[in-house]
Amino acid sequence: MKKKILVIEDNQQNLYLMRYLLEDCGYEVFEAMDGKEGIDKAASINPDLILLDIQLPTMDGYAVARTIRQNNILAKTPIVAVTSYAMPGDREKALEAGCSGYIEKPIDPDTFPVQVEKAFLSK
Amino acid sequence: MKKTWPYQKIFCTPKKAGILAYSGSMFLFLLYIFTFSGPALADNRVVKIGVYENAPKVFTSPSGKPSGIFIDIIEYIANEEDWQLEYVKGTWAEGLDRLEAGKIDLMPDVAFSAERERKFSFHKITALSSWSQVYAPKGSKIQSILDLNKKRIAVLEGSVQQSTFKQFSRGFDLDITIVPVPSYEAVFEAVVKGDADAAITNRFYGLAHAKNLGLEDTAVVFEPATLFFAAKKGSNEDLLTAIDRHLGNLKNNSQSIYYKSIKRWTSEETKFKFPAWVKILGLVIGIFLLMSLAGSIILKRQVDARTKELKLINREMDQRIVERTAQLAHAMEKAQEADRLKSAFLATMSHELRTPLNSIIGFTGIILRKRVGPLNDEQKKQLNMVKNSSQHLLALINDVLDISKIEAGQLQLVSEEINLPQIIEKALQSVRPLAESKGIELKHKISPDINSAKGDNRRVEQILLNLLSNAIKFTEKGFVETVAEADGDNIIIRVLDTGIGIKKEDMKTIFENFRQIDSGLSRKYEGTGLGLSISKRLAELMGGKIWVESVWGKGSTFSFSLPKRGV
Repeated sequence: MKKKILVIEDNQQNLYLMRYLLEDCGYEVFEAMDGKEGIDKAASINPDLILLDIQLPTMDGYAVARTIRQNNILAKTPIVAVTSYAMPGDREKALEAGCSGYIEKPIDPDTFPVQVEKAFLSK
Repeated sequence: MKKTWPYQKIFCTPKKAGILAYSGSMFLFLLYIFTFSGPALADNRVVKIGVYENAPKVFTSPSGKPSGIFIDIIEYIANEEDWQLEYVKGTWAEGLDRLEAGKIDLMPDVAFSAERERKFSFHKITALSSWSQVYAPKGSKIQSILDLNKKRIAVLEGSVQQSTFKQFSRGFDLDITIVPVPSYEAVFEAVVKGDADAAITNRFYGLAHAKNLGLEDTAVVFEPATLFFAAKKGSNEDLLTAIDRHLGNLKNNSQSIYYKSIKRWTSEETKFKFPAWVKILGLVIGIFLLMSLAGSIILKRQVDARTKELKLINREMDQRIVERTAQLAHAMEKAQEADRLKSAFLATMSHELRTPLNSIIGFTGIILRKRVGPLNDEQKKQLNMVKNSSQHLLALINDVLDISKIEAGQLQLVSEEINLPQIIEKALQSVRPLAESKGIELKHKISPDINSAKGDNRRVEQILLNLLSNAIKFTEKGFVETVAEADGDNIIIRVLDTGIGIKKEDMKTIFENFRQIDSGLSRKYEGTGLGLSISKRLAELMGGKIWVESVWGKGSTFSFSLPKRGV
């Protein structure tokens, strides 16, 4: 049984890139283009890992992470922030909001699969 | 009290009179005293005094009142003796005639002489002592009787002086012209007008008037005389006796009316005349003072005006300062706001630039890995160019972000134990592919005396990585060596290369933003131009320094220090 990964990302190119890399590694990929959709899909799919962009329309990634964490079923699901936010405090903010890991954009196609594999272990 | 008692009795009430009746004998005794001391008041003796003009001895004052020393004396005595004085004015000669004719009782200022004693009676105590003296205009140089030769002398007509001077001068065989005038006043006037060269008066008149008229006393003195009040021969003996009695007392008392009178009438009027130069000096000083007064008033006005102006300016300045401060505060707020906006802008830009870069780098990598399919050589070459360019763009974005973070004071460093072998190993690993591709040997040497140092491992690695990639970039052959050693309180990390080296003129600016050797359109070496600037700031933030030694054409050594104890 393939592991399910939910990617919440508003940029179509990046979404496609991640889907390509993740499917190449044998994961089942689900997509959401904004925070609301991401929360709904997370609840219905119950993925093994959530890759979450922080800058999203209407509802930012921090709020999405907090909301997902309120769902008991998803309380232990690893959420990894994938973001280009690089200012001081960004990492801390993401962890505070309930993320379990942090991958900085731009992603490297060579290292990305390794980072994802490690992320399954984070909680 | 004794005298007023009886009058009181007269006006007393009967009751009071009754009381007083008991002391009847007392009353009679007082009445007796009153009666016998009364006649002087009731029956005043009238004494007629001759007056002529011979100030200050005797003369008529401008108000018409007889005045002078003799008058003061006789009035004092008259007051004491209850005489009622009547003055009869006239010339000297008239006075003597009247005295002889019994028309007056006393003539003052009569010089005693044997001749006069036949006609007149004199009291015994001298009233005044006098003498005759020659007066001449100031500077006349008359010092003795001989200097009066061939001079015209004014003298009072019919006076003792006239006759005695004639005899006196005749004795010296001098040729002197006598100019007789009717009064002493005229005597001096004659000299002042030029009708005479000198004048003779008694010493009292001279004392009182000579100076005012510009005359001075000479050394020519003659005819000493004693002066008295005279009466008609054989009459008014009681008056002369009374005069003697009082004069005796008056002359014994230095505070008496006698001396006061002499002093009053003979003392020189202190009219001090200033010499011309004093006057001129005074005038000059006066003018000067006046001018300086005017000057100081003008100055004061100017100062006041200026002060006012300055106060106004001051107030304006104060207001301006307040306004300016407010403006500055506002500008400061704006600047701070701008700074916040700049940081926000950079964060946003960084994010926005990285997002497309994410897919560029990602897909390029995927294609280059041939996961999509096989590539021919040209496709591979071009895709590598895309990859390199996007990597460079990413480095640029990262560096700009770093610089702006440092400048905004937002770069947070951790102070931790530095793991130098690990940092060096990681950095070398990163640059090894590049070094190997250029055939450059990478060496490293860690001195065993390094115990510990404090800093931010990630940032130390960033500095070292930057120095290493620079060294490899600018070295075509040879080696790049990393050396770490202890130096007192610091550890020093050096990166030595055998590259092109740095010209002296470039060494000063090499750590500034966007500085790159050989910069320009023909730039041969890639790089953001921010690496050394960031490294310098990072080293300083950790309490260390960064510096370079280089020989053009032979190689460079970049070094940075870190304090063992941290910041």
